[in-house]
Amino acid sequence: MNGAEAMVKCLEAEGITRIFGYPGVAIAPFYEAVYHSDSIEHILVRQEQAAGHAANGYARVSRKPAVCVTSSGPGATNLITALATAYADSIPLVAITGQVDSSLLGRDVFQEADMRGSTESFVKYSYLIKNADELPQIMKEAFYIASTGRKGPVLIDIPCDVQMANLKKPFSYPEEVNIRGYKPNTKGNNQQMNKVIAAIRKAKKPLLCVGGGVILGNSEDCVRSFCEKNQVPLVSTMMGIGVLPKAHPLYFGMLGNNGKPYANRAVAASDLLIIVGARIADRAVPKPESLERQVNIIHIDIDTAEIGKNLGPTIPLVGDVKDIFERLLAEDFDLDTSGWIAALEEIKRNTVDHRVFSDRLVNPMLLVQRLSEKMDDNAIYVADVGQNQLWSADNYVMKNGRFLTTGGMGTMGYSIPAAIGAKICMPNLQTVAVCGDGAFQMSMYELGTIAVNRLPVKILIVKNEFLGLVREHQEKVYDSHYSGVRLYDYPRYDKIADAYDMDYFTCNTNEALEETLDRFLACKGACLMVCEVDSANNTK
Amino acid sequence: MKGIFSVLVENKDGVLSQISGLFARRGFNIDSLAVGETERQDISSMTIVSTGDQRTIDQIEKHLNKKLDVIKVRRLEETRSVLLEMMLIKVSYSLTNRASLIELCSVMGAQIKHVSAKNMVIEFHAAPDVISDFIELVRSFGILELQRTGTICMAKD
Repeated sequence: MNGAEAMVKCLEAEGITRIFGYPGVAIAPFYEAVYHSDSIEHILVRQEQAAGHAANGYARVSRKPAVCVTSSGPGATNLITALATAYADSIPLVAITGQVDSSLLGRDVFQEADMRGSTESFVKYSYLIKNADELPQIMKEAFYIASTGRKGPVLIDIPCDVQMANLKKPFSYPEEVNIRGYKPNTKGNNQQMNKVIAAIRKAKKPLLCVGGGVILGNSEDCVRSFCEKNQVPLVSTMMGIGVLPKAHPLYFGMLGNNGKPYANRAVAASDLLIIVGARIADRAVPKPESLERQVNIIHIDIDTAEIGKNLGPTIPLVGDVKDIFERLLAEDFDLDTSGWIAALEEIKRNTVDHRVFSDRLVNPMLLVQRLSEKMDDNAIYVADVGQNQLWSADNYVMKNGRFLTTGGMGTMGYSIPAAIGAKICMPNLQTVAVCGDGAFQMSMYELGTIAVNRLPVKILIVKNEFLGLVREHQEKVYDSHYSGVRLYDYPRYDKIADAYDMDYFTCNTNEALEETLDRFLACKGACLMVCEVDSANNTK
Repeated sequence: MKGIFSVLVENKDGVLSQISGLFARRGFNIDSLAVGETERQDISSMTIVSTGDQRTIDQIEKHLNKKLDVIKVRRLEETRSVLLEMMLIKVSYSLTNRASLIELCSVMGAQIKHVSAKNMVIEFHAAPDVISDFIELVRSFGILELQRTGTICMAKD
């Protein structure tokens, strides 16, 4: 058995059935081994970055690590943005990159790129394999590292000759992993736990703030039960959208400078803020210092380094969110929050949203609301980056589906490949990618992947002929000096849809919206809908 | 404040660059960094001295711990540890001040490793602040070259 065959064996042992990738000579032995595998299907993307985003969408929906594969040099460097995206959102990936022969490493030969060095700050861990016999151990470790503790991408860079070298020992996939420098802490410290319990007991106006960590920790159910049992209201970050449905009486919206003003007022009015699985990044909490002074803060996170990074919490608690909330659920807090919830409802009623959206063409707020209301109860909505992302996050009517977006890195072009990954993972779930005309053009090559694999992915383009979020910034900060942001009326989307055999829909009035969305959502195959919005619309 | 970290790491390629990259990326200072093998071939020891406010020093410790190739991080108290650094310094002299330079070395416990017609190479190992004092004392003679190893450190108990 050679190294490449051993890798495929390892993937099979991990239960991997689909991998996303783009071959090249330096990874050809691996592709030869995949050719002979009965259980692994390879999905060819049209550019390597899309392999990473597709694996990202697949991992988020399957809640397990997903695999992407590229060749060496430019193939591998094309993947870096996708790795950075997965790292920022803590998405578990195992990325396999081919490398030049080990004897040629460091000589700047054709298509050599130092992948370990160049991805150092974008991966949780990386390997450069020099001996085929190390492969089973390293593959086992890679999956373990990607999927435990704070999840994230792991890179395996493997020279071509190592893929071809025969294993000297008989193949065996290790049962266990023992990395002496990596013992992820999953159980919350008892003493800290008691402090958390005591603080919640004392709280008059507790508020939960949930981030993507709650979803990554598969703990939506127990967090929801905790809220309901103790009547604790909840706000979320952009990555935490989906922990509670929008219509839930305890949900008070997304916080942050792109969120609901009443969610921010709720945070300021609380006497105990319980932050769970969130980084407290600048878009969610622009002034953490002033928040520290105002309210008591419990910060729960699996990653010790998140504690105190952006916010000095009153009570830190490091551990697995599911374990912690299962223990909190067992406690009886006897909280009476009815007055506090009534006060929050009052805040929600009285907070005037000053934003006005143009009804010339289609109103973007109405678009996202009606689209998400009409979508299946368990549908997957993938929002891209730009104004469309902020309109989506702000107006999305969450039911029991998934809202996927890249909140950390904000990578344009994410939605289409991520929707491909999600759809391949869950073919029965309605999947809609929503992007601007800018982001669409960054990934429109992936329509090829959609067409060839006959994936019924729905793509909705919010078209305003601008890079809208930058245009908005230039309007406000640079006296409307629009520099480098006009896309004009290209491409001809009907022709693009036609080229890939997609059904095509277009809408440019509020009146036609309902009917067009119905036809778009009822369409059986892959389809493209262009919704024109007034370029004068801002996000706030 | 000063943070002194004694860090045990896997003795593998790329680990030093991971650690120094972490400091660079997150804007942490490195005042000194000394690396060497331990009594076990597969483990290296790093002593990293940094300065920053309390939150920064706490963050450094957490981020070091987060690295998978870091086996153990210990934060050492300056007063409860033995700190040692080594220096080679080339100092110029003249016939008139030669005796006083030799006397200074003798008083401070520095060793003269090489003497040429115009300069001496002096070896000195001591606590980092004593090394800094010694540098100030010989500055008037004329420092031609100076190399410090960085601090190594061990807790007293």
